[in-house]
Amino acid sequence: MDAALLQVSDWQFIAANWRFLLLGTVVTVLLTISSLSVGFLLGFPAGAIEVYGRGRLQTVVSGAGVILRGTPIVVLIVLFYFALPIPQLGTVPVIDMQLTAFIAATLALGLRSAAYQSQVFRGSIQSIGDGQLEAARSVGLSKLQAIKHVIFPQAVRRSLPGFQNEFTIVLKDTSVAFAIGLAELLTRAERLYLQPGRDTAVIEVIITISAIYFVLTFSTNRALDYLHSQYAIPGGNE
Amino acid sequence: MSVLRIENVDKSYDDEPVLHDVSFEMDRQEVEVIVGPSGSGKSTLLRCVNRLTEIDDGAIYLDDEEIHSVDENELRRRVGMVFQDFSLFSHLTARRNITLGLRHVLGLSDERATAKADDYLERVGLADQAESYPAELSGGQQQRVGIARALAMDPELILFDEPTSALDPELIGEVLGVMKDLADGGMTMLCVTHEMGFARSAASTITFLDEGRIVERGPPEQLFENPEHDRTAAFLSDLTGLHQ
Repeated sequence: MDAALLQVSDWQFIAANWRFLLLGTVVTVLLTISSLSVGFLLGFPAGAIEVYGRGRLQTVVSGAGVILRGTPIVVLIVLFYFALPIPQLGTVPVIDMQLTAFIAATLALGLRSAAYQSQVFRGSIQSIGDGQLEAARSVGLSKLQAIKHVIFPQAVRRSLPGFQNEFTIVLKDTSVAFAIGLAELLTRAERLYLQPGRDTAVIEVIITISAIYFVLTFSTNRALDYLHSQYAIPGGNE
Repeated sequence: MSVLRIENVDKSYDDEPVLHDVSFEMDRQEVEVIVGPSGSGKSTLLRCVNRLTEIDDGAIYLDDEEIHSVDENELRRRVGMVFQDFSLFSHLTARRNITLGLRHVLGLSDERATAKADDYLERVGLADQAESYPAELSGGQQQRVGIARALAMDPELILFDEPTSALDPELIGEVLGVMKDLADGGMTMLCVTHEMGFARSAASTITFLDEGRIVERGPPEQLFENPEHDRTAAFLSDLTGLHQ
């Protein structure tokens, strides 16, 4: 690598703008949380419907999943931003977050994540033997009660590793909100090096935000590992 | 009055007949043991009684009520079941395995359900394992929890579907011991089992089922000492020989 590209003055420039990047990180984290929440709230019921549902509802849910999983995320985000009638809501001060873009990005990332989370959950439900449901029904629990008290608690535990993957993917994919100008980490990074006379700082800025993404994914993954071990079934092999 | 009456039951899976014109009746406190070669329809017959499987034709009565006129969850509350593979809820402790039904089906408070569960765990000799998860228990212990789970619901009848077939030989005794205690205590039991020792000592009646039909039915002495059919004699002597 050309040593001239990694200049001390560029690192100093980044250090001077730490607050600017921090606010981008805040937007990235908020977008990750909102998207994963949408993904979870829609994805888990969708997974259950794919296993237990019947008729039109099931067809609609699995069809929507196929379409969402088959569309590039940038296409989704641009489509949602320009095609959905989301009212102009102005900008959140301090973090400079344009609400309309944030909602469009949340819907795009959230719905796509729902489509993947539904598959994680569907697989977990299907991995639980029929015997568990039969045993629950034999005690006199209704099908709904059996699913709620016996199948779901086990399926959610088994979904944790898949959910962990999904978390990492969504966090990193929040950077595609760059395409609609939402002031998340990548967008702010670009604003930094596009400043007049700062094009020498491109690599330093990119390295910095890569490190931020890494710290976020790494620390959260460790936290989820811990959660997984805390909720593991004693004596079980998962 | 009979607890269970099965009348002319037919059942097929995809045109493959499994049960053919099966009829019998059980009184309160009776222990009925069903024996027969694998594929003879024994498990299917049990599963028809609590409607895990639906019959094609005929009728089944619990306390003179046709089982299809009873709500299926109510029916299953009244008819307990013990499974070959135990089927304990793997995310719940032994105690919680029992309280789940007590709380959500019988509507007991958590406190009363826990007290009752502990009571039944003690009855099957597992008072000290209340906090253990199924994977932490031996097969014999798991099956005893399975029996306590069925028993705690105060059923009128318990179905046992080969309760010891998945167990290592040295663990069979503890489960049969619990079953024998139940039988002696007057529990009405319908058991599919290959344990001829249990059948001989605990059964009021033995039914020999083959190819979906009842070949012969009678008290243990009659079937073991003086069977009417050669097939019954051959099957029972095979099983008895196997376990000596």
